[in-house]
Amino acid sequence: MTRSERDKLTTSISRLLPDQPEVRVTGVASLGAQRQTLFLELSPRNRKTSPQRAVAQIASEIVQAGSVQIEGAILQAATIAGVPVPKVLAVDYAMRVIVSQHVDGETIPRKILRLVKANPELGSRLASDVGQAFAAIHGMPIGTLGGLEDYGDPQRYIAELEALTDDLSTPHPIFRLGLSWLKRHLPDPRPGGASESCLVHGDLRIGNFIASAEGLTAVLDWELAHLGDPMEDLAWICLRTWRFGHDDHEVGGFGNRRELRAAYEKAGGLWRQDAFDWWTVARTLWWGNGLARQVQVFLTGGSNSIVLAASGRRVAELEYDLLTLIDEKGDPPSPL
Amino acid sequence: MIDRPNASQLLQAMAETLSEHVVPSAQGSAKHAARVVANLCRILERELALGPETAEAAQQDLAELMSRDGTLGDLLADLDERLRTEQALQPSQEGGSQKTPEGITPCESRAHEILLADVRRRLAINKPGYDA
Repeated sequence: MTRSERDKLTTSISRLLPDQPEVRVTGVASLGAQRQTLFLELSPRNRKTSPQRAVAQIASEIVQAGSVQIEGAILQAATIAGVPVPKVLAVDYAMRVIVSQHVDGETIPRKILRLVKANPELGSRLASDVGQAFAAIHGMPIGTLGGLEDYGDPQRYIAELEALTDDLSTPHPIFRLGLSWLKRHLPDPRPGGASESCLVHGDLRIGNFIASAEGLTAVLDWELAHLGDPMEDLAWICLRTWRFGHDDHEVGGFGNRRELRAAYEKAGGLWRQDAFDWWTVARTLWWGNGLARQVQVFLTGGSNSIVLAASGRRVAELEYDLLTLIDEKGDPPSPL
Repeated sequence: MIDRPNASQLLQAMAETLSEHVVPSAQGSAKHAARVVANLCRILERELALGPETAEAAQQDLAELMSRDGTLGDLLADLDERLRTEQALQPSQEGGSQKTPEGITPCESRAHEILLADVRRRLAINKPGYDA
């Protein structure tokens, strides 16, 4: 972003806010091709109150303006439902920007894991907080959240994964084995059938929430939110790929599943083990596919990011996870 | 003449330079990128040593499974297509309540063994110890 683009943006952001404070950019974080994050300082014109820190998330041109609108609506609904989220200060669909209050704490996985190592109780606390947050998310009224796709039907999810696998430019027979397993191990239908579909965050894992010494302070990155099976979220946060080598703690490398499950159930969530196992395989396959797609963006000249290129050398990790998860000769996953 | 340092020695020196001199002083996304590149140098160093035998073992296993000769790329594409077609022929489950884990085909079962062995060899290059 050039200086003049930035000046234009800060002026526009100021106009969105009450009393049009002076907006200064204090930092920039680029998180992938989808969006950019600006850290802001808002100084009131009257100088009577102290400056306030804020964050602006700007979606790139490839993101539909409509999805920014949906994300804004979800954040407002999440606040009402008691999910810890940053307070939204302004949303502008034309500019594809959401401005929210700054929340203290850490998002970077290695820093959170360092905090947990120094204070093991924090890990348990985080696992419980996340379980409680999931129960609140899954209990949110969805009537007002129009425009969200529903992936709750496993058959539909299989069809999506199959289309993604067909679309890859290199053959991935390991993904085919995963698809076969998914078809042969469909979970029991949800007690209320498809009408049970709830809001699924879709990407809540270490790196996408803010943690302080007191626990979970904000759930971030709602752009993959959709309707579906709540167990999809619980499986995703437990994938090996989000543990950053701390495999003794199944939940994001910081907590254990028993704590996550206890907090989820205490807050009204229903844990279904067969669905948890199924979504663990499904989302492992999905993420292996995602990494393979990142490589394609690099190879076809869509981006020269070394980080995207390096994703290609991580596909083997997900393939290994997938093959061990679906190993018919191995022991079935142990129930809690 | 044989030029020295050789590729493996250079990659090792490049990884060390990045980890010891660049990563500590870099900030933000540049720091992350330097860390990623250092790791890629180490991957390439291992690939120089293990790459040829990794590809050869996979090629041989797949040629046996597919009962034909061919390049590794061709054989993988063939297997991918065969698994895709076999699955399309399987009757799909109704209602989602029946579980038939025994429905795995002999080709899938052998493919699982071969591909697991292959992924372990690739992990020895890309992420040693991941399959420990």
